[in-house]
Amino acid sequence: MSFNKIIVSLFFCLIYGCSYDPIYQKKHYIFGTLVDIKIYGEKEETAKNISNEIIEELNRLHQLLHPWNPGIINDINQAIANDKSIYINNNEIINIIHDASTLENNTKGIFNPAIGKLVNLWGFHSETLPTKLPSKEAINSLVTLKPSMNNISIKNNILKSRNNSVQIDLGGYGKGYALDQIKNILSVNDIPNALINIGGNILALGKRGSKTWVVAIQNPREPGVIAKIPLKPGWSIGTSGDYQKYLIDDEIRYSHLINPFTGLPSQGTQSAIVLTPPSVNSGTLSDVYSKPLFIAHKNKKFIVAKSLGLNYFLIIMEDNSIIISKDMMNEISWYQEPDAKNIITN
Amino acid sequence: MKLAGIKNLMQKILLLIKKFKSGDWLVMLLFISLIFFITKYYWEFPQGQYLKIEKNNEIIGTYSLNQKNTFIIDSLMGTSEIIIDNNRARFSKSPCKKQYCIHQGWIKKINQTIICLPNQISISVIGNKEQFDSINY
Repeated sequence: MSFNKIIVSLFFCLIYGCSYDPIYQKKHYIFGTLVDIKIYGEKEETAKNISNEIIEELNRLHQLLHPWNPGIINDINQAIANDKSIYINNNEIINIIHDASTLENNTKGIFNPAIGKLVNLWGFHSETLPTKLPSKEAINSLVTLKPSMNNISIKNNILKSRNNSVQIDLGGYGKGYALDQIKNILSVNDIPNALINIGGNILALGKRGSKTWVVAIQNPREPGVIAKIPLKPGWSIGTSGDYQKYLIDDEIRYSHLINPFTGLPSQGTQSAIVLTPPSVNSGTLSDVYSKPLFIAHKNKKFIVAKSLGLNYFLIIMEDNSIIISKDMMNEISWYQEPDAKNIITN
Repeated sequence: MKLAGIKNLMQKILLLIKKFKSGDWLVMLLFISLIFFITKYYWEFPQGQYLKIEKNNEIIGTYSLNQKNTFIIDSLMGTSEIIIDNNRARFSKSPCKKQYCIHQGWIKKINQTIICLPNQISISVIGNKEQFDSINY
């Protein structure tokens, strides 16, 4: 190769080669939230086709799992409210109901997808934020009825509930479940490297080339991020926060995360972040298990995390204290280092 | 001998330029402006999001450029003052004699750096593009 050719190729490398990062990105408003798909190292056409398939799947799940729009969940809820049994011609929904029931038991009832009536009473079954507090009597009467996924029984595709106060609301489950479904789509299509973000819940598959995917953690009170953490292949991250869906009355913030035992939104926590290791339902677990960590009392957060087998978590409290596991502490990098006296670790 | 060679070459170039017609000038102008724009397009870095302050190769902190703040840092020779304002940053006080760091003025684009060698403090603008791939919320 002549000297001139080398110079010319170096020049082209400078312009094209060195700035080339084989990453395909697609952002889409879907599933009632923002979905961000990143696929690494595939041809643009392949990546585009897969993203479209993912978006189709999310559309399907949005309709299937929607807590209050007309659909299968709504039909089930109406049948339960009228003390009727209902035939379900959809094995996916049956599996989801069984799974949600198991997760309710694992979290000792703090994650309870049967309290749709309470969530609705607080005004969170709406696209807009509520402005009015419900009455204490109304809350208490729903709490004493103790709706639970365990009240539901399904035999030969026929669903019955022995408690008519049960109203299924898979709000704290759907995004995580969707992540696991997308993981299946990607693995069937042999796409090893991708990062999927559904409304803040993120699943990492493989890596970004030679680098691990890195995700940042939102500051719950100001625009901007507080820290970043690597998301290793197969891991998921989920957050429960009081800063997106909430109600402010008399300068008090009420989050959409309702404690099923009191009927009241959990207070004192700003956000709870959980990382879950690779498994078939890693996405679901990251979504679901952030709820008990958010709702549990400050003194009980470590105990709850231990009972759920969580090693990576970070909880930001209203009093500025930060509850963080040792493993999380070792991997996190802060943009603004918190005061050492505010950090509570195990 | 060498000097004569250069003189010869210069004369040849001058002769060539004299032969230039307006079309040739146009072509040349076109190429020069093309090179100018390509260089500008590929070498211009976008606005940064954070300022990284380092003292003696140790990161003191990374701060959002989207704030109004003054940082006072004690180092080898004394105190240096760095200000962040209106998405840009600069050295505003330095104990060094030459005050090069202050004369460099404001920086705001990714990879722009000012180093104060005597006091061993450097500031550089970074973006969040390389920092993370997605946000968990």
